[in-house]
Amino acid sequence: MADKTPNALLHGSLDALILKTLAGGPRHGYAIARFIEDTSGEAVIVEEGSLYPALYRMERRGWLDAEWGESELGRRVKMYRLTRQGRAQLAAETAAWREFAAGVSKILLAQ
Amino acid sequence: MKRSLRSWLWSVPLEQEVDDELAFHREMRRREGRTPPPDPAVRGTLLTLGRKRDREMRLMQWLEEIWTDVRFAIRQMRCAPGFTVVAVLTLALGIGANSAIFALADAVILRPLPFPHADRLMTVEEWGPQQGGRSRIELLNFHEWRHQSRTFDAMAAAWVPAEGGGPVMTGLDGAAETVSAQTVTPQFFDVLGVAPIMGRTFADTDDSTDPRVIVLSEGFWKRRFGGDPAIVGRMITLDQRPHTVIGVVSDSFEFIRRSSIWRLLPLPTANASMTGRGQCGVCQFLQVVGRLKPGVSPAAAQTEMTAVANALAERNGNTGRPRRVLVTPFRDVLIGTDLRITSMLFLGVVGLVLLLCCANVANLVLARMTIRQRELAVRGALGAGRARIAAQLLTESVVLAGLGGAVGLAFAGGILAVAPRWVPDGLLPGILTLGVDAHVAIFCAGATLLVGVLFGLAPVWHVTHAPLVEAMNAEGRTSTGRGNRVRRLLVIGEIAAAVVVLCGAGLLLRTSLILESIDPGYEAARDHVVSGEVSLRGPRYSTDQAVQQFLDAVQREVEGIPGVSAAGWATTLPMGHSDLGRQSFQVAGAEASSDARPLADLQVVSASYFRTVDVPIVAGRPFTGSDRADTPPVAIVSEALARKYLAGRDPVGARIAISGQGTVEREIVGVARQVKERPDEPDDFVQLYVPSAQVPRGETRLLVRTAQGDVRELVSSIRAAIGRVDRLVPLDHIATLDDVARAGTARPRFRTTLVAAFAVLALALAMVGVSGVLAYSVRQRRREFAVRLALGATAHHIWTLVWSDAARVLAAGVATGLTGALLLGQSVSAFLFGVAPYDPITFAAATIVIALTATAAACLPAWRASRTDPAVVFRE
Repeated sequence: MADKTPNALLHGSLDALILKTLAGGPRHGYAIARFIEDTSGEAVIVEEGSLYPALYRMERRGWLDAEWGESELGRRVKMYRLTRQGRAQLAAETAAWREFAAGVSKILLAQ
Repeated sequence: MKRSLRSWLWSVPLEQEVDDELAFHREMRRREGRTPPPDPAVRGTLLTLGRKRDREMRLMQWLEEIWTDVRFAIRQMRCAPGFTVVAVLTLALGIGANSAIFALADAVILRPLPFPHADRLMTVEEWGPQQGGRSRIELLNFHEWRHQSRTFDAMAAAWVPAEGGGPVMTGLDGAAETVSAQTVTPQFFDVLGVAPIMGRTFADTDDSTDPRVIVLSEGFWKRRFGGDPAIVGRMITLDQRPHTVIGVVSDSFEFIRRSSIWRLLPLPTANASMTGRGQCGVCQFLQVVGRLKPGVSPAAAQTEMTAVANALAERNGNTGRPRRVLVTPFRDVLIGTDLRITSMLFLGVVGLVLLLCCANVANLVLARMTIRQRELAVRGALGAGRARIAAQLLTESVVLAGLGGAVGLAFAGGILAVAPRWVPDGLLPGILTLGVDAHVAIFCAGATLLVGVLFGLAPVWHVTHAPLVEAMNAEGRTSTGRGNRVRRLLVIGEIAAAVVVLCGAGLLLRTSLILESIDPGYEAARDHVVSGEVSLRGPRYSTDQAVQQFLDAVQREVEGIPGVSAAGWATTLPMGHSDLGRQSFQVAGAEASSDARPLADLQVVSASYFRTVDVPIVAGRPFTGSDRADTPPVAIVSEALARKYLAGRDPVGARIAISGQGTVEREIVGVARQVKERPDEPDDFVQLYVPSAQVPRGETRLLVRTAQGDVRELVSSIRAAIGRVDRLVPLDHIATLDDVARAGTARPRFRTTLVAAFAVLALALAMVGVSGVLAYSVRQRRREFAVRLALGATAHHIWTLVWSDAARVLAAGVATGLTGALLLGQSVSAFLFGVAPYDPITFAAATIVIALTATAAACLPAWRASRTDPAVVFRE
């Protein structure tokens, strides 16, 4: 499990994973990481060094919006939410992924 | 909108945001039991990204606010179309007029001349104190300069005759016509950087003692030769000698003035260099233009040319006559001071008009502010800060100004399209073109922004100082004293500006009237004398006798035309151009002073001249038929010459020698009354007349006087009369003496007309302001008037109230305006003649005009006030 580094992730797909995660509702950064790890069955590990820069970048692009909320521990925490632009971006990335995956599958899984 | 709101609600500093977020993440990981090594770089990365994010968001927010404000402004304007149209048109008027005048100032002051590297073009002139002004250069000097100068890349000389004066071209049909021509050295076109549109221009190899090649202007080629594509190589007869066309240059090129053809100056012959004069009679009248080497300053060229000229003078033993060489940018010589200061004057006047437009729009906006007071109060109550409201009002003003600017630019384009028809010939060098270009557009945008902020400040000031809450409670009953004060100040400013422009226009008008009514010195009615130019050339007129025979024969023929009362010849037109210009002379017996020889305008006239234009001979006798080539040489002098140089002796009988006529001494036989050269000449013009019978000139002007009726109807008979003597001699530049005199005052007249038009505009704008402010204050004081009327005041009483209000504003405005006019007076003194810049009559007249119009403007509001019906007002 430890050998699954974030580097194993294909470049650019982290953005799509974050967007998909937030499509289910606002979350804070740690929750986003947990969700991705849990849902992927720990196949994808997201560490702070890649997660937060991605969040800040996406916020600047207008895909995400953030505001202060309260965590389960009662601490002040930044909650991220998908914007309309973010939703559009998610749709685009999903479509692109589908196409890409289909293409790669045709080669790798060919009998 | 969300994103922009966020940064408002977001009051946590970026560093804390990053630290909190990371700390929470690490804490949760620890609880999970997983402690991956913290990434030390992540904090820095997030700070950088966060800063970038915040900066962009602030910008976005700002842009969004502006966009919201702009949309709001457009909605506001839609709500009040009447207000919008009036404000936009007022601004368009001001901005448009300013942009058009700026186009002139730009062409005259800022824009380089349309030559490649025009900043390197210099004219080189000689300045001799005894000439009392600039002189032109001799061909030999020019060649010395050209060869010795190291600061100039190249130098060229040109003889640019005054209007008219050119060779005679004979066509295949035998018809003769004078063609405007400039005679130049081969480097001329290269120095100016002009490429031909066809064929070639001159080359050094064309240089010869008898050049027969010419270059045509595009316009002349199209007009006279129908744009013949095979023009290069065609032969053309000029002064009865064949010349070959070698090229055509574009009409966008012009040197000093328009020319149809360019010829080459013949090289000085060996013989000429002995005597110091070329064979060509024009060679001492050359204008020299040079192109500086790149990087050489005009000052360096000046130093070098002074040294070159001094060395030359020393070698020629010419040290007795100190002359200075002057290197001046070609641009300054071409455009001249008069035009430059005239365009500054226009710019100043039109700037005042723009301020008036601004003030009027500010007044309109303020009036609207009172209507919108409740809206603004509500917005304030809902949490909009004053700064936010102010920014929004300013945006509204700038959007309004932007519309005004756009319409104004179109307006300026329209003005510039028709302007050439109003501008007198010769006011603008033909090479300058006026039009809406990038410079004008930038100016217009700048003016628009400035104007928007200027009139936008009024409502902003109003809002930031007026208590908003009070406005919400007030049901439009109480007047806001502050708004009124701003409006009154604006109107006082408007009246002051109008007074300044009126005074300026008045001073120029008086100058024009003085110039137009000046006594020219001759007594013939100006529109009863017509003049035309002849030019006798070619082998037929190579002797003085032949020329004299022609002049006498034409005079006889013309005097025989029914309706002609007199005809004569002269080389100078009264109040017009002098062909021979200033010549030095010496009175026999007077002490010869070394450096300052007196100068007089030399005029060669026929005996009948004085009779034709009716210049009285105040002493002695006029020339007569018995003053001939074989009788003793005689001269007539003007009163000024007699007064200045023959003081204390009887001028009649004194003897005088004129330079250029060898050692001939002429006896003065008469004194002629002083004739003006220009209406605004500062000193009496010294004149010297010589009978044409003794020095016949082939280039001279015919003057014909009619007893009554339109002298122009005689022109065809005059041409026919000349044709009977020699059908190859054309009569050119037909003009009555009235035309000549009017041409001399064209510039002051144009200045006066334009400034007067702006003054009328300024007056109208100021009166709109006065009337608007009074009407507004009357509306606000309705309750007060109603109470007064109810308590027994008469309508007359109310009138007086409104009048005295108007009078106070007017008095303050006029006082400010007159003070301003006094202070600014000196700056127009260059345009005045015979009038002091603080002329009391003009100032009084301006005051009366403004008082009368202000009274008229106050009439309607005063009448309304006096008609206030208390019953109606109280029921409201």
